[in-house]
Amino acid sequence: MSRQPMRRTIRGGRPYFFDDPAIDKVLNMVVVLASEVWTLRERLMAMEAIQVTRGGLKAGEIDRFEFKPEDEANLSAQRKEYIDSLFRVLAEQVDEARRSKPAPSAAPAKTKKKATRKKK
Amino acid sequence: MLELKHDLRLAKTRDEKARMNFVSGLRAHVLNDMASGMRSVYDADVEPQFRREHKRVPKDGPEVHKAIKANDYFKFYSTLRVTAQDMVWQSVIPPLERNRPELKQKAAKLLGQGQGKGKSKARGTLKLKPGFEVPRYVSAIDVHLMAGNYDGEYEKDDLAAGSLYDNGLAVFSFGLMGQNLDDIGQSIAGFIRLKYPNLKPKKILDLGCTIGHNTGSWKDHFPEAEVHGVDVAAPCLRYAHARAEAQDREVHFQQMNAEKLDFPDASFDVVFSSMFLHEVPKKSIAKIMDEAYRVLKPGGLMLHMELPPNSQLSAYDAFYLDWDGAYNNEPFYKPFRDLRPEELCKKAGFDPKKYVQFVIPSVGWYGEKVWREAATRPPEVDSDKTGRLTDGILWYCFGAWK
Repeated sequence: MSRQPMRRTIRGGRPYFFDDPAIDKVLNMVVVLASEVWTLRERLMAMEAIQVTRGGLKAGEIDRFEFKPEDEANLSAQRKEYIDSLFRVLAEQVDEARRSKPAPSAAPAKTKKKATRKKK
Repeated sequence: MLELKHDLRLAKTRDEKARMNFVSGLRAHVLNDMASGMRSVYDADVEPQFRREHKRVPKDGPEVHKAIKANDYFKFYSTLRVTAQDMVWQSVIPPLERNRPELKQKAAKLLGQGQGKGKSKARGTLKLKPGFEVPRYVSAIDVHLMAGNYDGEYEKDDLAAGSLYDNGLAVFSFGLMGQNLDDIGQSIAGFIRLKYPNLKPKKILDLGCTIGHNTGSWKDHFPEAEVHGVDVAAPCLRYAHARAEAQDREVHFQQMNAEKLDFPDASFDVVFSSMFLHEVPKKSIAKIMDEAYRVLKPGGLMLHMELPPNSQLSAYDAFYLDWDGAYNNEPFYKPFRDLRPEELCKKAGFDPKKYVQFVIPSVGWYGEKVWREAATRPPEVDSDKTGRLTDGILWYCFGAWK
């Protein structure tokens, strides 16, 4: 028997609990993501501990650390971009609504209909 | 996450360890915090609603299950539990996949077969049967959502499934199954030794032993005895053999179906199993009990560590344990728990007067003092700790003297 990779999928089916199984699946993705976030935290803690041991950092130094104003501004811009990208899927709907929403004075019905259809 | 103590443990990266830690933590949260949260939701909402509709309380597990199914908390509890179960194995497979060649080398070395400095000779033995037919109730599904199940093989002389189970169990148990995953074996074998000081077994058999994690405890508590373990899954047995050597225990493993043992009549003083009967269909359970009776010597003890029977639990606790049967790829779990253990023993030929059952506190969780006291005053079966993987776990077992 030649060497095969181990199977990673489950035989026998996976149960779903919400009326729409998509909810269970999305929740699974969220938890896997949460696991990766935790993994990063553990890694950072390890990195910090190593630095402290080596004398590159003092214990608690990161907690007391303040960014320089120019770094803070850069970070703030990046944070905004990050949050925007996280919720882009919701922003699309808003953009479209704003594009299609006619000015109160001129409201061509045609555009409105088209927008509704597109939203689906 | 619990780190395995023996030489077959996998080398893991920092990130792999962190993922395992996360899954262990998630499981502890679901099985302790959310389980107790679900009970509160049941008491406050689900049961009162049932009483309003039916003018009585739910009479058994299935009625509780039906009533709670639509509740959001049950849905989140359940889907998170399935997710965590899946993640247990998924956290082990990547490091295992990478370590497979090394794992085989380590095992060979432990058995004195590899190159370099290893042990000169294994203390225990392993007998596999070429062409052995694995029963369909093992070969057809992935029990516990473990991809590949106990018997899946991916190369010649493979032991990956054993490693997956061992390392997975370390993540899965979040410490409740002991530092060497042998809390069941240690708690029960030790309890029997304390309770029956005159029992001096010469031969002990563990049925459906998988990786032998609870088999070795019998050797610890009865060092004079010859200890055997049988299972149908070759990769688990190969791993069990090497694992026992790594722990310096002399155990003899053989590939056998517990429904039809190759041992002669009246050849064992103790026939044991743990978490085994609920994995096989009812028809097979009857055959296994018959075989246990046959291979036991007169005066010998048969003992099965199992989930407590539904007949001895409250409706809610019955529902709670049956969750696994419904959602964890455990098709024989509920049918087993619906059986009456005393009747199973009687049908196999045991004298009903010689039936025994015990609820044994986990020695790891409670410590020696409480555990020792239980030998004289065992706890009741009906408790939300019996057989439930949660803080304060109590192990249930039943059997009979021949």
